[in-house]
Amino acid sequence: MANVGRVTTDPEAISPDLDFRGSRRLTGAEEWVWYLVAAVTYIVAGIWHKWLLNWIIGPVWLVVMICVGPPLVDRVRAALRGRRR
Amino acid sequence: MSWAAHQFEVYAVQAHLPKKMIGKVSFWAIFLGDFTPDFLSKFWVYGFTINGTRYGAEIPHQWHRGFPGMGFTHTLFFGLLIAAGFWLWKRNRAFVIGYALGYAAHALTDINDSVGVMLLFPFTTLNWTSETWAYAATVDGGKYLDGAAYYSSLGLVMDVFWLIVVCFSWRVLTREHWRTRVVPADARIWAFCGKYLPERGLLALYRATFFYGVCRMISWSAWAHLVARPVIDGVERVGYPFDLSWNGPYWLAARSLPHVNPWLAYPVALALLAGVYVAAIRLWEPMGRAESERRSRSGTQDASGVHDSA
Repeated sequence: MANVGRVTTDPEAISPDLDFRGSRRLTGAEEWVWYLVAAVTYIVAGIWHKWLLNWIIGPVWLVVMICVGPPLVDRVRAALRGRRR
Repeated sequence: MSWAAHQFEVYAVQAHLPKKMIGKVSFWAIFLGDFTPDFLSKFWVYGFTINGTRYGAEIPHQWHRGFPGMGFTHTLFFGLLIAAGFWLWKRNRAFVIGYALGYAAHALTDINDSVGVMLLFPFTTLNWTSETWAYAATVDGGKYLDGAAYYSSLGLVMDVFWLIVVCFSWRVLTREHWRTRVVPADARIWAFCGKYLPERGLLALYRATFFYGVCRMISWSAWAHLVARPVIDGVERVGYPFDLSWNGPYWLAARSLPHVNPWLAYPVALALLAGVYVAAIRLWEPMGRAESERRSRSGTQDASGVHDSA
């Protein structure tokens, strides 16, 4: 496995749920769901706004969705849990 | 030209590297090599309009694939020239081999439209085309007509074919493959990106080109066949009609340049592809030794962590 500086991709060295930055890892069905959400939103947007379909916006759309989406949902869930208590 | 196929073939190349190069060829180099031909030429093919004035090629297909024009950007010769330039500059075989393979994939798959590419440039400026589907980038039609034509013809089949190739090599998109085969070959780049992105973001970045290819294929197809209201032969239709016949679609005049017999295009392209792979395999060890020598002379370490001269 690559080990450059403080960055490691060795899954044994870190928790299976957290990555090298302590961020939540996406796995299994949850990973599929987020990619599907990114794809469906991008496809639908792209049908009516062709300017979105380029090699910059496409990758940025996915990366932003994957990076921002899960923690956003986590926060909303935590807030809702907090309200119920 | 091919559309999403150019995104899928990057992963096809990554998934089918020669055994001794697995985990050692830069994925980003493959991507850049595949990206370069259209990056250098396509901006002027469609052109752009400012204050009612169009700036772009007068004859798009001549500019894109012909000579005189930027057709040399879609030749193996030019791709290998750039790769050789990178080698002389950086002595990095992981990058040079990846770039050459990616470039070859793009240049050779573009024989499929009716304009084709100059496979044997600079020895001849004749184009080589299998005329599988009509090249449709025109001044009046622009990107919309081009997209509609491509996704109504065997161009769509080409995209689906390459998608299936990647699906059969689905492991190339897994976290495991990325960790063990992709990251070690580009450790510095991934470490840099890792300063700003979590692992799920890095993995998404790796898969992003595939994602973009799938989405653009579906978006353009959906637009062309469900949303567009073209007028063909004086009749307004719901969506552009499919035509999966050779050199289709029928509702568009296929652009063309002087070319050799289309039956020769595939055999020659496949022979050239085999040649590129054989050359890459044969050069791998000598390049590795040259790279190690340069590194030991300059006293630098292999930042990828892959200490391998052979």
